[in-house]
Amino acid sequence: MATSFKFKPLTISILLLFLYNAIASSASGSSSTTMHTNNWAILVCTSRFWFNYRHMANTLSLYRTVKRLGIPDERIILMLADDMACNARNKYPAQVFNNENHLLNLYGDNVEVDYRGYEVTVENFLRILTGRHERAVPRSKRLLSDEGSHILLYMTGHGGDEFLKFQDSEELQSHDLADAVKQMKEKRRFKELLIMVDTCQAATLFSQLQSPGVLAIGSSKKGENSYSHHLDSDVGVSVVDRFTFYTLAFFESLNMYDNASLSSLFTSYNPNTLMSTAYYRTDLYQRRLEEVPVTNFFGSVMETIHTDSPYRAFSNRYYRKSKTEMPSDQSGGGNRRALKDLDILEELADPKLNVRPLQSTYLLVHEG
Amino acid sequence: MNEHQGAGARQVLSHSSVYSSVFRIPAIPPATSLPPFPRQEPYSLIFDHRLVQTETQLQCAREWRESGSLTPTMAEVAAFVKPKPRPIIRIGLFLISQSLLVSIICCVAGVLALLLLPVLAKNTYISENALMPGSASPMLSSADASDGHIFLNKIMSMDSTSTNTGTEIPEMIGKHIIESGGEVNYHQIQPISDNFHPLQFFLGPDVGIVQENYSCTSYGINTVGIVRAPRGDGKEAIVILTPYNSVKTTTSEALSLGVAYSVFSLLSRVSWLAKDIIWLAADSRHGEHAAVAAWLRDYYALSRGDLEKNQDMCVASSVLGHELTSVQRNGVSNGFRRAGTMAAALVIKVADSSTGFEKDGLKIYAEASNGQMPNLDLINIVNYLAVHGQGLQVRVEKIWSLLDSWWLYSLGELQELLGKVAKSLNPDWKFGIPASDYVEGCATLASSLYNQALGVPTGPHGAFRDFQVDSITLEFSPRFSSSQRVLFLLHVGRLVEGVIRSVNNLLEKFHQSFFLYLMTSPSRFVSVGVYMIAFALLIAPLPLVAAALFSDKLKSGKDDVSLEPSHPGESFPTFTAWNWLHTAKTVLIVHLWGAIVTIIPYFLSQFPNSSPLTNLSMWIASSLVGLFFTCAASGSLSISRASQLQIREWTLLKAVTVTAAFIGLCLMSVINYATAQIGALLLVPMCLMAVPLRIDMADKTMKALLRGACNILLVFAGFPPTAFLMMRGALDSFERVRIDDFWNWTESLRAWNSATYIYICMVHLPCWVLCIRILLLRR
Repeated sequence: MATSFKFKPLTISILLLFLYNAIASSASGSSSTTMHTNNWAILVCTSRFWFNYRHMANTLSLYRTVKRLGIPDERIILMLADDMACNARNKYPAQVFNNENHLLNLYGDNVEVDYRGYEVTVENFLRILTGRHERAVPRSKRLLSDEGSHILLYMTGHGGDEFLKFQDSEELQSHDLADAVKQMKEKRRFKELLIMVDTCQAATLFSQLQSPGVLAIGSSKKGENSYSHHLDSDVGVSVVDRFTFYTLAFFESLNMYDNASLSSLFTSYNPNTLMSTAYYRTDLYQRRLEEVPVTNFFGSVMETIHTDSPYRAFSNRYYRKSKTEMPSDQSGGGNRRALKDLDILEELADPKLNVRPLQSTYLLVHEG
Repeated sequence: MNEHQGAGARQVLSHSSVYSSVFRIPAIPPATSLPPFPRQEPYSLIFDHRLVQTETQLQCAREWRESGSLTPTMAEVAAFVKPKPRPIIRIGLFLISQSLLVSIICCVAGVLALLLLPVLAKNTYISENALMPGSASPMLSSADASDGHIFLNKIMSMDSTSTNTGTEIPEMIGKHIIESGGEVNYHQIQPISDNFHPLQFFLGPDVGIVQENYSCTSYGINTVGIVRAPRGDGKEAIVILTPYNSVKTTTSEALSLGVAYSVFSLLSRVSWLAKDIIWLAADSRHGEHAAVAAWLRDYYALSRGDLEKNQDMCVASSVLGHELTSVQRNGVSNGFRRAGTMAAALVIKVADSSTGFEKDGLKIYAEASNGQMPNLDLINIVNYLAVHGQGLQVRVEKIWSLLDSWWLYSLGELQELLGKVAKSLNPDWKFGIPASDYVEGCATLASSLYNQALGVPTGPHGAFRDFQVDSITLEFSPRFSSSQRVLFLLHVGRLVEGVIRSVNNLLEKFHQSFFLYLMTSPSRFVSVGVYMIAFALLIAPLPLVAAALFSDKLKSGKDDVSLEPSHPGESFPTFTAWNWLHTAKTVLIVHLWGAIVTIIPYFLSQFPNSSPLTNLSMWIASSLVGLFFTCAASGSLSISRASQLQIREWTLLKAVTVTAAFIGLCLMSVINYATAQIGALLLVPMCLMAVPLRIDMADKTMKALLRGACNILLVFAGFPPTAFLMMRGALDSFERVRIDDFWNWTESLRAWNSATYIYICMVHLPCWVLCIRILLLRR
């Protein structure tokens, strides 16, 4: 919003805004002019069973990352289709690792799983996106986003051409996803949405999207498999997928004050190490990726507006670009705690430590 | 004119029923023999396909239509003027008319397809995602292996000290299990009599038949150790089975116990178990299979009350009465201990001497009763872990004598050459394997086929398969001096641990991979979809030939009527379509006789101490007497009656015999494919060739004489004892073949409840007798 109106005369923008206020029903208009005020993350692991350990580890790793970068637990919807931590086959009870060095236990003390086990269904997922819940569903399980929200939607599991498998029994199709996103757009449930999918043929899941403000990245193109990164021979399963592994590697060097752009994330994927081609779709997205910091989606870093009068703070027609950027206070206690832990976790979680990607193709599990 | 109208009748009826078009139309009595068609009958009669339509009727219909007195609806016209029957019927008719050529082609193709199976074999692959063999590094350390070694030394020393009553070893195993944290219980088994009980043939071994005259010392004692999965739900279990003879334990049995102990003690410490582990040290003094089967029966059947009563009898006094400390006593239970349903069972054996292996070898036995196989995934994970994890050389059984056969080798070279030629024509065509691989594949395939056809389990794993538990026997052949035993224990222990960890990952029963397959090497298999082709080709001519013979007979029957009107009395019952019922009765009676032959050995077994040869000859003699009486009672095969007509009826008799053989083979292929396949190889040529010798003699052409000679040869080879002895001789050597082997062989088939026995007596033998009957028909 700030950049798009940067060079335009102020008067025009004021006139336009008056116009927009008059035509309140125009959804697209209102969201494009609304400020980015909050961040949400929906993290979904769709597969069950012990041999899909890595999908839960992927999701928990992302969970840890977005929490570390400032999205509080109450704004993260975490969906885990199975409970690997308490699986009888887990050699390390109540612990989940995403690296064979076992330095970081992803299943620590403050993991809030919102949907677990058989609650992770296509129906529930679509209800979360569209916000059409039964009355009894608590607020903590709802996506309470608004037209100023940036939402990160991360999904991992087994997929194929235009579908993602849920729970070994049902599928989310690309049409379903596109339809839900369209509904969200019309209900002004987001300002911008980043969909990140780690599955085989992930790119096909985006093919039906048509709502503006949506950015999508997938681990592989149509016809490609996504592979697991390495096998933990102690636990006896593959613990992380390649795409997620390199995503995490990118974020581990960042903290919430860094200004790394989305394009630097998207170009960081090397098809040789990934063994698939990361595909991103930008045609629905208005801003230039070079100008969008990754913390716009993976963190919760708000621009604080310095105003003379506190009562006029949120009226965006008197908006002036502030020069200082600070973490917003609205993310609350969870945010601060994450900040405190930050440095320790960074030391522990460097994924480059002691990793040897196994070359044997047998050990590479694909997601197709 | 008449011919033309007959064709018209066939056309009209054909779309209502296939059979009517093929069989019923010619069966209709000639129009002349019918009363005149009542013209005043309603028009609808003519187009009602349920009614028999004669040429006369159709002629009437045509006349009426042409005169325009009644206008049929469009649909009726369409049905009437339909030019030809459907293509499938035409193809069927064509095949029937060419039945000789078709049957030659099909039989040759069937045998060729069978010989091509090693080429068509696919590489095995692990189908179930959850198994993930080898993804976890083995945890069994050399310390565990040396513990196992100490354990085996103890057993060996115990065996060398005399006064062995068979309770010391179970006691010691129990003590060790408790020390490593498992639960123990002892299970006593009685020797089961292996008498043949025809009524319980399909019910499995008898439950609860206890021989009274056995003393306590003659009971075998199974030692059962159980490790509960620390965080598992206790609903499933994996079984390790080590059979050993508690009275006289050999070194190899002690080695297998050592392996099991080192794995078991490791598993009692690990935190990743999701399924309970059962270690069954089965006392094999009354036979390995009997001990395991008895334990399994009690595991799945016996109620609690029975158990406690049983336990009080002997085991409690013999084993539990010994010096057990109070701590140990807590772990030992009088009751029968159970874990969950069994996911898989591994039988660990060590061969006495390694034969033909360059390094430590592993031989996999998988065939259970009636040709049932464990899921292929179980063999795959064992093979994968043994080859890639522990560097063992893996084998499945093969028939060694086939390896040297020149004809197999030249066949192998031929297919290799063909493969090369095909590749030079088009690089994408890839078939053909090296000739030596082909011969190996054939030898393994033949062994696989033979063991499945026999229907007798190749090891104690067979007892598990009776309860739908997937299990295999792993027979290790160590190649070492005794100083390297620890290393051997380490390798084998790690393999067993790896397999158990892999099965532990399983979420459901084994179901992903194949159950119906033949192995051509430990890593190659032929699935059911491929090997059924050979069988299908082989039996395809049977229904065709039956149909051809039947229609020929009907045609000739018609001719006979027209030629010989001088026997008006006989013509009606002899030459109607229902004449085949008489021959069917004959065939049915011979099959009934087969059932009698099946149960004769039960009566013979009532006479104890008779030699196998006596039994065999008694069996044959009583069967012959039985045949005579059965036929005399039914009067169907009596030589006196209507002997003139017999020679003409041979085609009918052959048609029904061929049909019976076809039905029998099809049924058998559902129960045990391998038996049906081997049976078809013997039965199909015999049934198809059978022609009365008199006809051949009368012909006096070279072809006819050759056919007669072939017939005699086939019938000679088709007699079950000669077929068995010839097969024995061909695979082994003719010097060692004795006639009474056949009795012993059938006895073992009966003892193992093999359906092959039923097949031989109730399908093969009656068809053989009927073929002889056809050959010997008189003019």
